[in-house]
Amino acid sequence: MPIVEISDLVIRHDPATGARLPVRRDEVLSALRTAGDRRGARIAAALPHHDGMLDENAVERLLVRTHTELQRLNEELRIAEQLAELLGPLLTAVARDGERPLVVDVGCGIGYAIRWLAVSGVLGDVELCGVDLNAALVAEANRLAAAEGLSCQFVHGDAFALPGPATVYISTGVLHHLRGGDLGAFFRAQAEAGAQAYCHFDIAATRLAPLGAWVFHRARMREPLGRHDGVASARRAHADHELIAAARSAPNLVPLLYRPLRHSNPFCASIRPVIGVRPQYVSALRNALGPSARHLVTESRSTRRPW
Amino acid sequence: MVSASIVVPGVLASIALVDGVLAGFRAATGRNGLIRKRGYYLVAMRRGLVAGGAVLGCLALVLAVVLATAPDPATRYGDLTHAGITMLWFIGPYASVVVASLIGYAVLPRRPATFLILLGLGPLTLIRPWVTIAAGLTAAWTAPNLPTAACAVLAATGALAVEPWVHRRWYAEPA
Repeated sequence: MPIVEISDLVIRHDPATGARLPVRRDEVLSALRTAGDRRGARIAAALPHHDGMLDENAVERLLVRTHTELQRLNEELRIAEQLAELLGPLLTAVARDGERPLVVDVGCGIGYAIRWLAVSGVLGDVELCGVDLNAALVAEANRLAAAEGLSCQFVHGDAFALPGPATVYISTGVLHHLRGGDLGAFFRAQAEAGAQAYCHFDIAATRLAPLGAWVFHRARMREPLGRHDGVASARRAHADHELIAAARSAPNLVPLLYRPLRHSNPFCASIRPVIGVRPQYVSALRNALGPSARHLVTESRSTRRPW
Repeated sequence: MVSASIVVPGVLASIALVDGVLAGFRAATGRNGLIRKRGYYLVAMRRGLVAGGAVLGCLALVLAVVLATAPDPATRYGDLTHAGITMLWFIGPYASVVVASLIGYAVLPRRPATFLILLGLGPLTLIRPWVTIAAGLTAAWTAPNLPTAACAVLAATGALAVEPWVHRRWYAEPA
């Protein structure tokens, strides 16, 4: 049975224009019931609606609240710091003289990672941009960035259709939303967009992950939707070998895992990244990482979920 | 040597105030998406401290009435102290582990600090209400009289009320 997240069902966009499309409440409930997710159906049933269509404004406000709670979880687990620790060496490896690198966060939500990088300044002189298909989340990201006077921008739309190519694409917690062929297409789109590298963090697919997600979302989040989707995310997280297989379909970007699960302490492996880099920059990346380069691997066997 | 009749209420009151500060912090979390929010959290913790202090003040008032109306205030004070010791058997070890985890999170490098969060602070937050309820109910169950039992239950209820109170009063809506 498929595992579904409510947040994937309550928002729909026109693939061509990116415009919001109305969502029928019955369809959401039906999808959740078909997946055997009675709790999810109860949560969705409580969402405000008009004549059977979900209230778009209420859904947007709910998603902004949920993402703000999720940011608190990211802050506690220092996700942005982990990202910066890899992104710095990655930019050192791929940066070209005279060019200001562009870092694009795909599916940025309310832009926590980009705004944290802008505040910390750890990457030096880089252009920081977040892109999301959800206009309400982008508006909130821009509002928060303006409130702190940050030098970064957030754009509503397709991250792979920006006017100029990104130097590095990043994301946190996006990969598990991409199912089937969409995962490989995601990696190929980055190669086609001309990126020099990518660095995508997502939930580590361990057997402990759903339990850990339940504990943390229960302890730290208030919105029932956030608690539900947090556990569903952990249950549908991609295994290392699935990520590597999908990433290999992108031409001219060498996929690498950093601290893969079989090399990690299960209690520290809440999230882990898959990195991709143009072949000519692989050795430069290893040099930039220094001793940490020993945590980079190119292969991952197909195994059951560890731990 | 300082007697239990002074130490026990002192320790319980100190734990309640620190818990109030942390309750204020928790009440404010997930409501502000800014990156720099040290000031926001300091205000929240101060609000938690004030709310915790107010709850503690109300409890002190109730305890004073219970003592004043007791046939033998000295015996009743001894009963209340005993109930406090029972509560400390639950709350003391819990509070010690929380404080140790918080210090570890603050001073350790990122990976072991994350380990502490995953194994310590997250689950500890989740079991906090149950530890408090267990402390209150056990103290009430073993109390020799109804007023002492009621005070134990009231103390536990008051401690659990601080976070929702601060949250609803100041942080019901995102900042």
